[in-house]
Amino acid sequence: MEEKTNKNPEIIGFACSFCTFKASEMAGSLRMKYPDGVKLVQVPCSSRVDPAFVIKAILEGADGAFVAGCHPGDCHFIKGNYYTRRKIAALKEMFDAFSMKDKLKLFWVSAAEARRFVEKVTGMYDEIKEKKNAGKKA
Amino acid sequence: MQAKKLNNGAIEGVLNEFLKDEQHLVLGFEKDKNGVSHRIFKKSLDQYSFLNPLFSTNGALFLRRLFAKGMQIVLLLRPCEIRAYVELVKLTQIEREDIIAVSVDCLGTVSTKEKIDEIPTEAGQLDAYMKETDKMRWACKVCREPRGVVGDAGIRIDKNGAFWATSYTEKGEGFLSMIEGNLEEAPKEMLISEKEKLPKFQTNMDDFEKDFSKCIMCMNCRDMCPVCYCIDCVFNGDEYLPKGDALLNKVFRTGSTNMPQGKELFHLIRMYHVSQTCVGCGACEEACPQGIPLTKYFKGTSERLQGMFAYMSGRNFDEAIPYLTFLEDELKDVED
Ligand code: SF4
Ligand code: SF4
Ligand code: SF4
Repeated sequence: MEEKTNKNPEIIGFACSFCTFKASEMAGSLRMKYPDGVKLVQVPCSSRVDPAFVIKAILEGADGAFVAGCHPGDCHFIKGNYYTRRKIAALKEMFDAFSMKDKLKLFWVSAAEARRFVEKVTGMYDEIKEKKNAGKKA
Repeated sequence: MQAKKLNNGAIEGVLNEFLKDEQHLVLGFEKDKNGVSHRIFKKSLDQYSFLNPLFSTNGALFLRRLFAKGMQIVLLLRPCEIRAYVELVKLTQIEREDIIAVSVDCLGTVSTKEKIDEIPTEAGQLDAYMKETDKMRWACKVCREPRGVVGDAGIRIDKNGAFWATSYTEKGEGFLSMIEGNLEEAPKEMLISEKEKLPKFQTNMDDFEKDFSKCIMCMNCRDMCPVCYCIDCVFNGDEYLPKGDALLNKVFRTGSTNMPQGKELFHLIRMYHVSQTCVGCGACEEACPQGIPLTKYFKGTSERLQGMFAYMSGRNFDEAIPYLTFLEDELKDVED
């Protein structure tokens, strides 16, 4: 992995276009701010996210990644996010086995929850930034 | 356990009878002057061996994309091979219809890379050999299921070295009915007993990078893994592992890079992809020209991830692969 020079983390988020991605758009139109380092990739359903995407994002330099979809029970495709939950739970377990579990998060954010979206991604961003800068000094 | 005791030569007799039909085949082991290896027997058994203490590859590999109709195949393989077969059936890579899968108790194996002159294939002698040798493969030392308790039927070995045949499915019953004699209660204690589970696998990226630093990205590990079945593997295109122009474009975009590129990417993604289906056979490690400790990582990770769903790859035909199913009421605390 390449050395990172900037101290501002980059986070890749995979966001379902029916909920979390909509929430991010609403956050924008309400002029709520969330960190620039959070980059979203729109996916048609959170279950479209092959864990390979997440692993690639991390190994190619992202400081963190998250997968975000509709709350369980509310999937546009009825049950996609139940599969997401299993797959990402397992991926988190794998990240844990490699001692990097704080690099991956799973969020449930509905289209109406712009505030929740901003809180979740900002929280993750701040947490990673703190660790990153603590690591730098040490 | 209700089973039929196999007298000397009994199974060979049964299989030879079975092979008289033009459409019938047996996949098992053959012992000749060069050692023991897989063989598909047609017409008759020749130099047949129940046990194969030499591991070259996982025999389920040969069965992928097997949809033949109208023939009958009996598999007599090691438990890790039958387990991989079961997973491939679930993944619709093998049509189960015409196959009877029989797992045979396994006393452990030695890599075919090892230089050894003679290895016994008789149960008692082999057991003694395996207890003595320091050459048993690590995958076998920590094998989760060396007992012939998977597939349609099983061949178990008792403490006196006698073989017992028992069935687990309807097909297995069909197999058993070909064998003469009556069902009787088999001894409780067999030569090999259930194994303990390994402690939870734990590592970190530094150790992982170090262990894989000599990887040359030949992808033999992928190609010889029985459950790594995708025809359109993501690593064949340029998206994950760019080659040629695509690689140089990437270097211009992102900067200098260590070569071969993408080792951790390749192995971590493959590790996840086989995490529910890996049977811990170590065929990946056998295929590796660089001596990378693949089994430790693949088996370790997969057992940890299977454990989350109380799943064990290849244990039975009816358990769904965890990523292909779900419960509504589960994993409540996964969300952040
Ligand atoms: S991994 Fe288990 S079943 Fe496979 S060869 Fe080794 S001991 Fe036998
Ligand atoms: S990853 Fe290795 S140990 Fe697991 S099934 Fe494939 S070849 Fe066997
Ligand atoms: S077989 Fe060995 S050298 Fe080849 S890609 Fe796999 S780990 Fe690397």
